[in-house]
Amino acid sequence: MAMDLSISRFWRKKVSLYRLYGSRCKACGKVHYPPKKACPYCGSRDLELIELPKKGKLLSYTTIYAVPEGARLKSPIYFGLIDLGVTKVVAELTDVVDKNSLKEGIEVEAVLRKTHEDRDSGLIYYLLKFRPAMVHR
Amino acid sequence: MVVYIEGVGLTKVGRHYGLSIKDLAAQVAFNAIEQVGEPEGIDYLIFSSALAPLQDNQLDIAGYVSSYIGLRGIRALNVEAGEASGLAAISIAKSLLESHQADKVLVIGAEKLTEYVSSKAYKQLQMLYDSDLRSFYNIGFAADAALLMRLYMNTYDVDRETLSYWPALMHSNAKENPYAMLRFAIKPDRVSKSQILADPITLLDAYPIGDGAAAVIVSSKDVVKAPLAKVTAIESSTGLGEIELLDDPLIFDSLLNAYRKLSSIADVSQIDFMEIHDSFTIVAPIILESIGLAERGKAPELIAEGHFSLNGDKPLINPSGGLKARGHPIGATGVYQVAESALQISGEFSGIKVDNARRGLVISLNGLGSNSYVALLEGV
Amino acid sequence: MTKRFYIAIFKINARRCWHLHGPKAGIHGWGAYIPIYRLPLSEIAKVWGWSPGQYEGLDVVEKAVASSDEDSVTMAYEAALNAIKRARIEPKKIGAIFFGTESKPYAVKPSATIIGEALGITPYTMASDMEFACRAGSEGLRSLIGMVDSGLIEFGLAIGSDTAQANPGDVLEFTAASGAAAFVIGPSENASAIVEDSVTFVTDTPDFWRRATQPYPLHGEGFTGEPAYFYHIENAVRALLEKTGLKPGDFDYAIFHQPNGKFPVKVGKGLGFTIDQMKDGLVTPMIGNTYNASALMGLAKVLDKARPGEKILLAPFGSGAGSDAYYIRVTDSIEERKALAPSVGDYLDRKVLIDYGMYSKARSIIHVIK
Repeated sequence: MAMDLSISRFWRKKVSLYRLYGSRCKACGKVHYPPKKACPYCGSRDLELIELPKKGKLLSYTTIYAVPEGARLKSPIYFGLIDLGVTKVVAELTDVVDKNSLKEGIEVEAVLRKTHEDRDSGLIYYLLKFRPAMVHR
Repeated sequence: MVVYIEGVGLTKVGRHYGLSIKDLAAQVAFNAIEQVGEPEGIDYLIFSSALAPLQDNQLDIAGYVSSYIGLRGIRALNVEAGEASGLAAISIAKSLLESHQADKVLVIGAEKLTEYVSSKAYKQLQMLYDSDLRSFYNIGFAADAALLMRLYMNTYDVDRETLSYWPALMHSNAKENPYAMLRFAIKPDRVSKSQILADPITLLDAYPIGDGAAAVIVSSKDVVKAPLAKVTAIESSTGLGEIELLDDPLIFDSLLNAYRKLSSIADVSQIDFMEIHDSFTIVAPIILESIGLAERGKAPELIAEGHFSLNGDKPLINPSGGLKARGHPIGATGVYQVAESALQISGEFSGIKVDNARRGLVISLNGLGSNSYVALLEGV
Repeated sequence: MTKRFYIAIFKINARRCWHLHGPKAGIHGWGAYIPIYRLPLSEIAKVWGWSPGQYEGLDVVEKAVASSDEDSVTMAYEAALNAIKRARIEPKKIGAIFFGTESKPYAVKPSATIIGEALGITPYTMASDMEFACRAGSEGLRSLIGMVDSGLIEFGLAIGSDTAQANPGDVLEFTAASGAAAFVIGPSENASAIVEDSVTFVTDTPDFWRRATQPYPLHGEGFTGEPAYFYHIENAVRALLEKTGLKPGDFDYAIFHQPNGKFPVKVGKGLGFTIDQMKDGLVTPMIGNTYNASALMGLAKVLDKARPGEKILLAPFGSGAGSDAYYIRVTDSIEERKALAPSVGDYLDRKVLIDYGMYSKARSIIHVIK
């Protein structure tokens, strides 16, 4: 079959990848994303799913030219470390006009975009990326 | 319990299109075995390869290599901990010896990264980082290190050019090492001008893609004949290898932990030299700051000023040229580091020699610290 | 009084009351999305050797181009998110998602479920992708009116979204653009605007089509005009005016399907509307023809500024062919909703010009070995 990517592996993670659901530890209060089975900080298994804020601040970023197989057509890839307040996440950045639009401290917001197309007949995978926040009158 | 390094084998890191992973393993295994005289007495083979299943379509590489090199019937196992596989393998060997399940362990680390084109290698190397999120992205192998480098530079106000002294130093060391992949000197200002991989990381900031193998024979006190060095202690720790989970991403929490554990069971003062895991330029200063060899934000300056170079006042770091210039055949690297350290201690290292090298520290970690291993080697 | 007299009175009253007893629903939230990149039409002309006269008459300056990580699904997501923000409802209250497009990423696999899942609407909801060239989104909108009014669902989501494709070098390439518009339909109470009445007029008229395995559509050039676009819009609008008893002058806004900057003005004037009524609903001159989002985005743009009590005429058109006509009346509730999400104007302002090379890469029209 002409597919390289797993269907179920992505599908299991929908709630994190589509809706930015993370996990909050009821024991120590810390939040992590995506959800693990125990709190990576204190080890407690008393966790609850929470929807993370979709807006945050860019803490660090990079423009990637050494792209992996399959991503040549999308080069350069922008990648960033984002502070959402309750926790930090890493995500691909999109709608980046050029590398000069990326600066520490700018506001970024989550948008749904394509991440992979599995050849010509496999599935299309979508997830949330972040873009420099729109100015909204 | 102390264990002994008795024989070593190394190949030059490079593009060995003519040699398979098993051929490379054989070469270094035979070298190591030659030094102890004969294969009889070797009762365990510990292999360390992270990418054999992907690059060479081979699972249970330890099982298949044992008959490939004439050791059919031996006990064998592959140990994998990403980039720290090699040192992890040595630590398993030490445990087997300590528990008297073996007397003489052959540890072989081997890896090929050139069986496929580089873009495929970049995709495979992405697996060294947490896959729950990153496997769905298209970020390649240098993305997290790039985020870390920028964060470091901004937090401590350290500029790009100061950081470039590290790769220059590595190249300068590697020039003397016949097993190194990159044996040409570079000036620091060339680093920022070279090809951008993931900015600010350039080609000269990152380990080269190459094949390699290294072997050591680790023996118990009862059977060792002519040891090169002893492995006094090894410790390890897992940690939050994801930059986004760390409240303080500029310290490798797993390394801090592993080093603390090691210091509590061994004397780590008076280190003469170290072989550390400089997969990318930025990883080196953070390693040094994580173990307290430099103040936070100050390591790049100290490196630039030559404190960690030959004739510096601090331990000599990476006489081999490190991951940057000697090379980084992922699973094999830790074994290279131990072999080089053993040779350094016994005075037989064919590259830069540290005077009176009695104590050496080996540091290996995976990614940005999902797993860290630290080993103390000493003279006998 | 004769029996005939009473029957005549009954018929007159029935007609007048027809729209008062017909199904009614309201637009609670509206939203749109336009990608950031714009390709000037002059770039297309330069590459394919068109003279200015061959495209300047289209009255379009630039067209919006979706990036390589965008498609009709991702654009629909953002337009719908904006509509839901304005509707101020929990996504789970939506009972139907109709995704109207002619650029479906899959021939078989609903895009509506991807959007539904990503927005937190699933699982207890109807969902399907609809096709009727450029009026599929509008068919969804019309369907939701009946579904809401009958109580089958409480709220529904209608989306029109397209990354329109055209054979490179074809005149259609000048206007085939990318964009999305979405509406949350619910009960008339508390709606921002009420869909008072609507009509649909369709015939089998093959003016523009795309065969199942072909990447680009074909069209009948002039045949797309009089027999298709004009005929269907005129008939739908006239039927609506007769049904409601309203005249063109009664409306504050008139929004038509806009394949270019010229056609909507021509059809509008022919029906008796003025440029003043039409200007606020025009988006194509700035961003090209967004197909299923064409008239609908014009509606979103009008709602961004419309005031309570104003009357809107909306007439989407789809090839194949058919047109709808809606009479929409704005309520007091609209003012507090406007600022809850980005406006069409915000997206129009957010633009970056690209050249034909970047456009080719973004829309994958360069043949590469994958």
